[in-house]
Amino acid sequence: MTSGDSEVQRDETPAAPGGDSGGDSKVEAEETPAAPGGDSKVQADETPAAPSGNGVAQHPGVPPASRGADAGAAVLRAGRRLITFSETWTLVALIILIVYFSFRAPGKFDSLNDFSLMGSANAWYLVMVVGETFVILTAGIDLAVGAVLVMAGVVADLYCLHHGGASASWAVIGVGSVLGLATGAGCGAVQGLGVTKLKVPPLIVTLGGFIAFTGAAYLITGGSDFRNAPNRLVNTIGLGNVPGTPLPWLIAISFAAVIVFGLILAFTRFGRYTYAIGSNPEAARRAGIAVDRHLIKVYALSGLMAGLAGILSLANFGTTTLAGHSFDNLTVITGVVLGGASLFGGRGTMLGSVIGLAIPAVLLTGLTIIGLNTYWQDVAIGAVLVAAVSLDQFRHRLRERA
Amino acid sequence: MHSRLRTMVAGMAVVGLGVAIAGCGSSSGGSSQKTMELIVGTKSDDFYVTMECGAEQEAKKLGVKLTVTGPATFSVPEQKPLIDTVAVTKPDALIVAPTDSAALDPDLERVQKAGTKVIFVDTSASDPSLGLSRISSDNAAGGKLAADTLGNLIGGTGTVAVISVAKGVSTTDARVAGFEQEMASKFPGVKLLAEQNDDADSVTTAEQFIEGDITANPGLSGAFAANVITAQGAAAGIAQAHKTGTVKLATFDADPTQMSMMSSGTIQLAIAQEPALEGADGVEQALNAIDGKAVTKNIATPLIAITPSNENQASVKSYIYESNCAG
Repeated sequence: MTSGDSEVQRDETPAAPGGDSGGDSKVEAEETPAAPGGDSKVQADETPAAPSGNGVAQHPGVPPASRGADAGAAVLRAGRRLITFSETWTLVALIILIVYFSFRAPGKFDSLNDFSLMGSANAWYLVMVVGETFVILTAGIDLAVGAVLVMAGVVADLYCLHHGGASASWAVIGVGSVLGLATGAGCGAVQGLGVTKLKVPPLIVTLGGFIAFTGAAYLITGGSDFRNAPNRLVNTIGLGNVPGTPLPWLIAISFAAVIVFGLILAFTRFGRYTYAIGSNPEAARRAGIAVDRHLIKVYALSGLMAGLAGILSLANFGTTTLAGHSFDNLTVITGVVLGGASLFGGRGTMLGSVIGLAIPAVLLTGLTIIGLNTYWQDVAIGAVLVAAVSLDQFRHRLRERA
Repeated sequence: MHSRLRTMVAGMAVVGLGVAIAGCGSSSGGSSQKTMELIVGTKSDDFYVTMECGAEQEAKKLGVKLTVTGPATFSVPEQKPLIDTVAVTKPDALIVAPTDSAALDPDLERVQKAGTKVIFVDTSASDPSLGLSRISSDNAAGGKLAADTLGNLIGGTGTVAVISVAKGVSTTDARVAGFEQEMASKFPGVKLLAEQNDDADSVTTAEQFIEGDITANPGLSGAFAANVITAQGAAAGIAQAHKTGTVKLATFDADPTQMSMMSSGTIQLAIAQEPALEGADGVEQALNAIDGKAVTKNIATPLIAITPSNENQASVKSYIYESNCAG
């Protein structure tokens, strides 16, 4: 799934951006290694030498003049890294849906209570979307997210069951959660190793992971859900609000994950490397990025997020829900793609993924509230998915022609 | 390159040999013991585990060799290869719970043509030319029983939601139909919301369904969740909406998870089947078929309504499903 249509000129910028269908940014050969075509924030008509664009490692020959861009332009650039044209379009679509359902079911859909319910029911999806975004940006895919969620929940609950069961203390819950997170990260890292060292395509590795981790969870539990999740976990994290506010813990935690990792993706080297590798792994490698090591970290991150999702799910349902997350992977991947990320890597943002997840969520709840058959949701999502991707392709073709 | 090709060929030869040996083993013509295979709907469901326990007990009693398999999830593509293998291994009888009432007909026909006697347990194929016996709870009666009990629990008025699994499964379709018909005729004061289908068996979808129902109908008084996954999802959604106990949740099956939910007050009614009896009856009818004796075409196993008030009674306890056959 790599483009490889860009040439790497050794004596010049080490990372000529290719991106897939010709990235957004134009790079003049004698200039800086600018954006590797991430749906990028470095617009062609902008300052062409923006070293802080989602570029790869700083080339020693970068002219420092660009750093002196005034604060206003810097803020604009930062803003551009968070939101691009793709997101604007999907955000408009989301707003249209919210307005429509608010109009059709006034006081019901557009109520704090309803948004609160929607947010908490999608909390574990949101957290998994965070990890999946990183993976898809590298031109990879993680099909195992639902299974890792279950595995992490099983490990966490198993620990708690042996240390107090339903009346387990916060300390026990804490340790159990850490074990769950570690399980998630471990499962992810193993998949990362499969992708990098065994050179098996991510689709196959994570498909195998999905099957294997599901099987492992059934082995550990003996086939039947563990049922007595710690009451404190369920009543506080699962059902409770942040003290003194009407904000459910599930929403607070999932949104915190989105913000933290969204900022990491947009503003740190880790994020830039992710875009670079997805755009052109060979160029990234020659620029000095340890591609394999980074990919393992990315898959481990996806696993970690699925682990966090597992804790949130355990808190919400009070059981390990072994059989209830089989197709979560499709929901999560649909969200990321709907949000504008390209399955070929290098293009997409965290905000886009969040909006992409929100659209089906709003559709499901909205259609349920107005009493319309939820099969319409499937029709609608399919249509929006194709429309979103084809609009994106159209836009890129236009740009290339210009 | 040459050595790799050699290794591949050697590997394939070993696999081929293994398959041949396995094939030889199962179609052992010399053994006089009758062979049966039970293919359940999914291995990971306590309903089917209990069925397996009952079938194994009966098989031991009758001196029949029984193997039990099943797909990891209740899905046609996962169950199909298991049924296709039976057409090759040719046991004397196949006792099966098909995951769809029509999609597996060609595969079942192949098995039947090969001489294996086919008995349906729990679910069945709608084609009457398939299968010699159909053993199931009267699912329509079960739905009716659920409607009667739930209708009384909610006092005969209010709004009730119905959350089921994907359409096309003979058992759940019959339950929902029975439930809806009885509710409409016996409790006309109850408003029934349209059936919602959780196709992907997702707990999260079931939760969002019930939450949407409660938001649209703040006075929602009851819900019918067709299986353990939808029950978990609905219970969580009702809890999030702070309506546990106010929205009476009825479900089908008495899985340990569901019984635990009843103990903790999130489920008020569970319609229990008797899967152990279905399994035992399946083995018994299969043996009748093999021996050329009369086979009962349709057997309806009993159902009971379990509520917090009777869940600890000894007679009721035997209906509760097991997660392993030790007990």
